[in-house]
Amino acid sequence: MASPFSGVLQLTDLDDYIGPSQECIKPVKVEKKPGKAAAKIRIEADGSYFQINQDGGAQKLEKAKITLNDCLACSGCITSAESVLITQQSHEELCRMLAFNKTAAPTEQKLVVVSVSPQSRASLAAKCKMGVLETAKKLTAFLKSLGKCVHYVFDTTFSRNFSLLESQREFVKRFRKQAEDQKALPMLASACPGWICYVEKTHGSFIIPYISTAKSPQQVMGSLVKGYFAEQQHLTPAQIYHVSVMPCYDKKLEASRPDFFSQEYQTRDVDCVITTGEVLKLLEQEGVSLSDVNPAPLDTMFGSAAEEELTSHAGGGSGGYLEHVYRHAAKELFGIQVDTIHYKPLKNKDFQEVTLEKDGVVLLQFASAYGFRNIQNLMQKLKRGKSPYHYVEVMACPSGCLNGGGQIKLDGESSKDQLQHVERLYESLKTEIPEKNWTVNELYERWLGGAESGRAAEALHTQYHAVEKSSAGFNIKW
Amino acid sequence: GQGLSRGDPMALSPGQGWSCRAVLGEGHQRTVRRVAWSPCGSYLASASFDATTCIWKRHEDDFQCITTLEGHENEVKSVAWAPSGTLLATCSRDKSVWVWEVDEEEEYECVSVLNSHTQDVKHVVWHPNQELLASASYDDTVKLYQEEEDDWVCCATLEGHESTVWSVAFDRSGERLASCSDDKTVRVWRRYKPGNEEGVACSDNEPTWKCVCTLSGYHTRTIYDVAWCHLTGALATACGDDAIRVFEESATGDPRQPTFALAAHDSAGPAVTLHCSASVLSTSVEAEPSRKKRPRVSFSRHMSLMARAVFPVSFLE
Repeated sequence: MASPFSGVLQLTDLDDYIGPSQECIKPVKVEKKPGKAAAKIRIEADGSYFQINQDGGAQKLEKAKITLNDCLACSGCITSAESVLITQQSHEELCRMLAFNKTAAPTEQKLVVVSVSPQSRASLAAKCKMGVLETAKKLTAFLKSLGKCVHYVFDTTFSRNFSLLESQREFVKRFRKQAEDQKALPMLASACPGWICYVEKTHGSFIIPYISTAKSPQQVMGSLVKGYFAEQQHLTPAQIYHVSVMPCYDKKLEASRPDFFSQEYQTRDVDCVITTGEVLKLLEQEGVSLSDVNPAPLDTMFGSAAEEELTSHAGGGSGGYLEHVYRHAAKELFGIQVDTIHYKPLKNKDFQEVTLEKDGVVLLQFASAYGFRNIQNLMQKLKRGKSPYHYVEVMACPSGCLNGGGQIKLDGESSKDQLQHVERLYESLKTEIPEKNWTVNELYERWLGGAESGRAAEALHTQYHAVEKSSAGFNIKW
Repeated sequence: GQGLSRGDPMALSPGQGWSCRAVLGEGHQRTVRRVAWSPCGSYLASASFDATTCIWKRHEDDFQCITTLEGHENEVKSVAWAPSGTLLATCSRDKSVWVWEVDEEEEYECVSVLNSHTQDVKHVVWHPNQELLASASYDDTVKLYQEEEDDWVCCATLEGHESTVWSVAFDRSGERLASCSDDKTVRVWRRYKPGNEEGVACSDNEPTWKCVCTLSGYHTRTIYDVAWCHLTGALATACGDDAIRVFEESATGDPRQPTFALAAHDSAGPAVTLHCSASVLSTSVEAEPSRKKRPRVSFSRHMSLMARAVFPVSFLE
């Protein structure tokens, strides 16, 4: 089966052939009691194991358990853990959850919230031949009709405001301390989980310090839904089932990171990620054509009158990180107001540069690097100390998120035309500036206690973990 | 007795015209699987199981490692320079083929990562005069790649072998390709351009490759390497049954269905000797038996410098 993950994620730990010595190397803690005699093991009829001690007493042996997260964190054997994870998080899983919810007792029922990414929406719009606003309203109606259990449908463009603002602020802080901190710059974007997982597995502790700690829009939404929204609804975080609709499969891995699991409430910030393609499967399963659905008003997290207008952010289909960080930095650090940003394409269309110059001096040098080959070259430059950039917007997929592995493939159009079609739809919305979003400011003040608070840091930032590589010399194949 | 037989005018043995000029010991941490000279002769690339490819610059007998190409996830199996000298290809057990570009400042950059194969890629070879790349894989196919817009794409997949394809070689014109496999056959493929007079269908206005000859029944084990002499058109194979075989194309054959006949075959125990016929006097054919019984063969026009690695032996063209 061809892997649906981004090319960057695919390239790590590849080998479908499991050599006899490629066993699971995950250490399992065993309580060892001192004793000399070899233990005798008895297998019961039900398959459980009992250790028979010297004095005749029997002890039931615990099964060694490896969790999926253990598998993801290790690069020992194969990555079928990731494929298992996909099935755990598919639209089938969502249907199971909705079916359960329908028949569950009121105390067991969960509030189902779906957060839709603007990239998925644009892809659906292209497929169903509608505008994005119409798609959003009809999608809201469709999702709410699923088992009559979906209660709210949100747009991750809202949570993206936070990701952008936090990235901007973090960059300025790092820029100001580059003299003391060797690893302050370049700052590398953090919204793409394909890129993050690749770095953790391949470059580990060398590159991790350069990566922005700002959470991606998906995970900020997770914090908002399970935090702010839960409070508003007088529910515990575990009583909400949060689904996100994303343009790629790598987002499923992001949602299952231990950092995004609340130990306190034993719940994930995002419970299930389905791709745009999986939404299409859901539509087909229900025998529904999205264009025939009656539109429903859009939801908002904030109780006030539903917003009938969708907005977006400038800077391309992957979120606009470069543009926002650039504009804010130019203003904050040099007092320069930037209007149009000029991109200079380098070796290929997925690698572009933006330079801020004044009186012949380069003040800021930014780049966007999409796709594995460009990530490779960036990594090599960084490792050799030859990177001229202050900030790089890194994305695993060539052409960015609009071209994610989970987007809908249209028939009859070349992939180039399809992508342009989706881009046009994505860019058809009015863009807004995060600083000017009143609701965002309110949340910072009232729920987070200010942008510099500990609560903001916890809700809006995360950390990364280098994965130790196990070097198995046994799997040489000539 | 690893030496080649004396007395034969074409056979050379160590000590008779070969001397070790340099040992490049400080580059790799694991097996060096293949080496390749750049077309200009000033650079040597070495591909290793340590997942890196070193580029060495030569100043007479002195070699300096000027850069290490990293990125492959695991063992690099092969490396090859394009005839232009500005492109390099590597392939690995990680199923990918990488194309690298070098500029005038000797800076190497990855230009493309091709994930077309579904298994370990054993070998990469460039077309003799075009920027067309061929790869051979454990997935039983040969794939061809070329540049399209600003990226490289797989433009053809040659299916037919029933097991791992270990190596490929283009003929002098580049219109034909020979592949050798674990299935004990050599297949010869021919390129048909759109609008060809034979009426072979081509999709998307792209050339198509068809298998025009299969050499089976000659080899009793896996064929690990194949070489196509650019001077005489002879094909040589290196086989796991300890023999090197040379095939010559029948002059009367139909170009659409060429036939090759066995010209020379010698398997005298662990010492492999090859006696060349008069028609290949201007070329040298050299085979070095390896401890793993997988001799590598290649033809060259002149041999002023030879590189030796743990495994293969290759020549300056």
